[in-house]
Amino acid sequence: MTENGNVAYNLSELLVAASAREIKDGDVVFAGVGIPSLGATVAKLTHAPNMIMAMESGSIGPQPYRLVLGIGDNACVENSICTTSLWRVFSDQQRGFFDVGMIGGAQVDKYGNMNSTVIFGDDGDYYTPSARLPGSGGANDIASSAGRTILALPLQKRRFMERVDYITSPGYIDGKGGRERLSLRGNGPEAIITNKCIFRFDPDTKEAYLYSVHPGVTVDDVVNEVSWDLKVSPDVHETEAPTAEEVRITRILDPHGIYTGNGLNNLSFEGYQAMLEESLIALRMLFG
Amino acid sequence: MAEVTGRKKKDKRMQLGEAIQEFVKDGCTVTFSGMGGGQCVAHTYEVIRQGIKDLTLIGDSPCESGDMLIGAGAVRRAELAWCSYAVAGLGYNYRRAIEEKIPHPIELEEYSNYSIGMRFLAGSMNLPFMPVRSLLGSDLPKYNKNIKVIDDPYSGEKIALVPAACPDVSIVHVSRADQSGNAQMIGFSSNAENLARAAKHTIVTCEEIVGADEIRSHPNLTIIPEYAVDAVVEVPFASHPWNMPYAYAYDLPFHTVQLAAFKTREGFLDWLDEYCFEAGSWEGYLRKVGYERLHTLQRLESRFTRAPY
Repeated sequence: MTENGNVAYNLSELLVAASAREIKDGDVVFAGVGIPSLGATVAKLTHAPNMIMAMESGSIGPQPYRLVLGIGDNACVENSICTTSLWRVFSDQQRGFFDVGMIGGAQVDKYGNMNSTVIFGDDGDYYTPSARLPGSGGANDIASSAGRTILALPLQKRRFMERVDYITSPGYIDGKGGRERLSLRGNGPEAIITNKCIFRFDPDTKEAYLYSVHPGVTVDDVVNEVSWDLKVSPDVHETEAPTAEEVRITRILDPHGIYTGNGLNNLSFEGYQAMLEESLIALRMLFG
Repeated sequence: MAEVTGRKKKDKRMQLGEAIQEFVKDGCTVTFSGMGGGQCVAHTYEVIRQGIKDLTLIGDSPCESGDMLIGAGAVRRAELAWCSYAVAGLGYNYRRAIEEKIPHPIELEEYSNYSIGMRFLAGSMNLPFMPVRSLLGSDLPKYNKNIKVIDDPYSGEKIALVPAACPDVSIVHVSRADQSGNAQMIGFSSNAENLARAAKHTIVTCEEIVGADEIRSHPNLTIIPEYAVDAVVEVPFASHPWNMPYAYAYDLPFHTVQLAAFKTREGFLDWLDEYCFEAGSWEGYLRKVGYERLHTLQRLESRFTRAPY
């Protein structure tokens, strides 16, 4: 727990707020499940009431009063402005209607190329991987066509690589001009949010640099967990703490820590039911 | 009057077991609707129960219909974008098949969600392929020769092409349908309308069979007209433990227990014995889950959303 004024918050709550703050009011946001969808819901209930969430299942513009438990959860149709099909939502993104997309992965390189497909073994062979991951899902499509993309993954040396084993989701490929050469229409990665810090991308070289460190983390801690020669912003600073309001909404939505703790362990049916009902009551009281 | 058969029939009602047996044959190509909710779970258990083998599975992000069919040894080849379960756990059977060839190796051809969607759109329009602005600059085309990156003949820009998907059988689950197969979905449709139109045969299942008059009073909710449908089956709670829009909430605690079991091969096989084979039918599965719990999930959802009919 860390204190902001008199608000105590944990690391996950900081990450939820950091994700939320990447969203501007009025943005159309493609949000994946987990901390990104929780961050998007918090953004909508705090600084970005006019934000429109889009979900891969085909739901557009929900205003859920509960934790979003999947990209096709019923929370995605709750008070939504449109329910349609997967190919139509992705076509809207390809058309250029979506401002920001949030994606996770297992590996990333300095140009923001991400891997969520396979971890290669010693033979470097796609067909005999050491670890098989779920695959692209919509991540490749979001990385290709969203206005800007926010990447999320834990900071570890084996994940922050000079070159990823497999490019599932294109970042800036090999630097400036890489996306344009390939006719990719989206503008590419804007930030990488990790459990230790936030990276942003140099507009000239398109290389990731250290932008801010979370409370209690040093620049050296980060440099040691990155495989390439990391550049550090001259005005690197501490990541902004979540506000009391952001923490309050986060806890109403996720009181058991399903995304912000270990709440999936020992989640009883009664506890789950109460969690959804209490979030509905609390948010109705706050927002009508 | 000549006998009316196949898709021209007016009453296409069947039982789930009959429909799967009639249309899903060993070696055929099959796809299931659903996307992170509204998944075809009852249908997956029935395919496993009937011991159907050597399937080619095409899907964007199948959960049970990908991971469980692969674990049961029903799949020879998979063409998909993702295979896992999101919040509740990972696609452990899919991982075991690729990493350890358990229960046997599968052929894999990977796409993204949108490009799989475009494959079904092409199939539904009787076109050979569809262009898409995804896949460029990634390693997906490197390992999948059916993705072609070409120069757009009009602008000269790079564009990716993906082949039409025309499965032998599409299995789709919707909110309600009439006995002729006019299928209505309230809530997102994943790609059900294109899956149904792209296939040689389509099985529509629904939470509820309703009269044709009810369909005609809300025609804009119809996503699949009867001429694309071979069989209609009423299967309540067919997506459990997943949610169904406007019908029942996600049963996350149940799913977490299920996925904990799937972590080991033995746990998965024990699960199949109990919930698939010993249960004997989807009704048997639902009795095991318990109707009190299922009705609680319905009541819970009704506090958040209500269908406008």
